[in-house]
Amino acid sequence: MSAQEMEKLKEALLDLNKAGVLEVVSATATTADLQAAKLAVEAIAGALQVVGKRFQEGEWFLDELVYSGEIAKQAMEKLSPILCDETQPTQGCVVIGTVFGDLHDLGKDIFINFATSAGFKVIDLGVNVSVEAFTKAVLEHQPVALGISCLLTPAAGGIPQVIQDLVEKGVRESLKIIVGGAALTEKFSLEVGADAFAPDAVTGTDIIRAWSEGQ
Amino acid sequence: MNFKERILTTLNHEEPDQIPVMGLIMDPSTVSQVTGKSATNIVNFLDKPVLGKVAKGLVNTNWFWNRMYYGNFALAMESSIQLGFDANWSIYALMKLYEDPASTLGTAMHDAYGRVWEMGTNDRGDLSVDYSRALCPTEAEWEAWVDAKAPLFDQLVKNATGFHKKLADKYSHRIMPIGYAAPGIFENSWQAIGFVNFTKLVYENPEFVKRVVAFQTDLYLRYLEGVMDSGVEVVLGGDDLGQKTGPLMRPALIDKFFGESYRRVAELVHSRGRKFIFHSCGKIYQFLDMFIDWGFDGIITMEPTADMDLARVREQVGHKLALVGNLDVSHLLVRGSHKEVDQAVRDAIRAAGPGGGYILSAAHSHPYVDATRLQWMVEAAHEHGRYPLQG
Ligand code: B1M
Repeated sequence: MSAQEMEKLKEALLDLNKAGVLEVVSATATTADLQAAKLAVEAIAGALQVVGKRFQEGEWFLDELVYSGEIAKQAMEKLSPILCDETQPTQGCVVIGTVFGDLHDLGKDIFINFATSAGFKVIDLGVNVSVEAFTKAVLEHQPVALGISCLLTPAAGGIPQVIQDLVEKGVRESLKIIVGGAALTEKFSLEVGADAFAPDAVTGTDIIRAWSEGQ
Repeated sequence: MNFKERILTTLNHEEPDQIPVMGLIMDPSTVSQVTGKSATNIVNFLDKPVLGKVAKGLVNTNWFWNRMYYGNFALAMESSIQLGFDANWSIYALMKLYEDPASTLGTAMHDAYGRVWEMGTNDRGDLSVDYSRALCPTEAEWEAWVDAKAPLFDQLVKNATGFHKKLADKYSHRIMPIGYAAPGIFENSWQAIGFVNFTKLVYENPEFVKRVVAFQTDLYLRYLEGVMDSGVEVVLGGDDLGQKTGPLMRPALIDKFFGESYRRVAELVHSRGRKFIFHSCGKIYQFLDMFIDWGFDGIITMEPTADMDLARVREQVGHKLALVGNLDVSHLLVRGSHKEVDQAVRDAIRAAGPGGGYILSAAHSHPYVDATRLQWMVEAAHEHGRYPLQG
């Protein structure tokens, strides 16, 4: 993939031009060229960084964040047969869910889109996830990171319970935990034993990317 | 002045005798704290082999549903009166129980609009029923749903009218019932489809979205007529247009798809001589001028954790909108100290009280909003909210 094509892909995504994005990635997918596919992923990730910045600065709104994430997801689906070649490591696996008692899912889903587009395999446990279900998924998938979303103050007490259970099962040490959502603050998150708080999906993705690359 | 005069005077942007206080009481948890009575917890029954079957059958009958629903809200009204509120909101919903393997209990409520509501009990054993998923993610599913549910929509309007009337008849001499027509047009449009799908459709199939909005607008106007037929004098409409850091959707898009509908809502309410207050969570500064333009009389929520500052809102809208709410439900009304609650009430009154046009209330309700803190809030309003306001 040439620099020009990468730029075209990035621009199409930033124009929310789904047809334009899919045209470029479909052409890349038909070549089955792993290097080209990786460059396409790089272009998509670059565009999403810009999306995130625009969102953080209030220039773009949630619908644009969601829709760009959806376009990126579809683009990644087209590229995944090449990228999933067994010989190629992905960024790793992340388990994500919204804590027990909380059914808010928009923020979690946006984070999932961004993480998927950054090359992570994401196991989505959904909403209202019990302590046991979080632990079970961690034991089963051995993820790089566990992500917990929480928007309700009454549900926030569930986060230390999840962390405590992971400690008791002996898997906390080998795992990074990231939390996010409107009910949380960085102070609370660190106090209850999470490794990081993500104020938004882009920052969250940057954090898990740094963890994955630091491994 | 009695509670009703107090509310109506302030909504006309005149100074009443004292700052009115409104309750957003509906959660069984808060109600049981105040009254000592637990609301009917059908989740407990559903698990039992024989009783469960009977309970499921009963809940799906119109008379039992209405009876149970009214019973819960009557307790909420009693609690509000006991706590000393001048007004409390009342909301009606029509749902049916279905076997639903995708839900945590294997059984969930489906509402008339196409939402799934998960049932549960919190750690205090109180019932919770919350929106969890959409039943009509595609255009075809949505069309099929609204075709099939026509009789349910009629039932919904009829039941809601009866519900609000019964509450108004029973309680309006002791407290002002504020008829909450919720969820609103935006939420009824997206929540049956899901936010992500709805957003995709806004970009990829705007004609369908317009059809959905037109359908929901007509239904909502009928619903509003019903709420007003009950005799309530102030109507709330509910749509969350914001999230913690800003609008849920680009304001220009909201205006394009929903602006005309909101204008019709305000016109209808005004044609019946009533006031229309709009509930929206989140950071919504960018919608305030639109609210004025669409004809709304006031807004409720102004969530402090989403950076909504009462003084800033008042400065932006002047007395073109009445303001209701702003007391934090993340910390203050959950575990704040008496001093903190007192100070927050004083700050709110100082920011929005002068000239009337402010009703003190919590920013929202949830099961952990603490009745004692609500009581402190009312007491502080009585202590610091007498007009003419001091300093
Ligand atoms: C794992 O790593 C990560 C990393 C980053 C992560 C992450 C995880 N999770 C999030 N992020 C981050 O990335 C995202 C994008 O950058 C961001 O995600 P957010 O999730 O923050 O943002 C989303 C993209 C958009 N934001 C949202 O989706 C939330 C917006 C607001 C308005 C909101 C909505 C939309 C809803 N609600 Co609810 N709701 C409110 C919200 C107000 C607010 N201030 O946020 C809030 C959260 N709600 C509240 C309440 C009280 C409730 N809600 C309820 C219901 C609902 C709706 C169904 C109407 C709807 C949810 C729809 C859905 N499917 O999610 C009820 C609870 C239901 C339940 N049990 O979960 C109910 C209890 C209301 C009631 N009485 O019934 C309040 C909670 C107060 C508190 N402190 O506890 C609230 C703050 C509103 C308020 N006025 O106070 C970042 O936080």
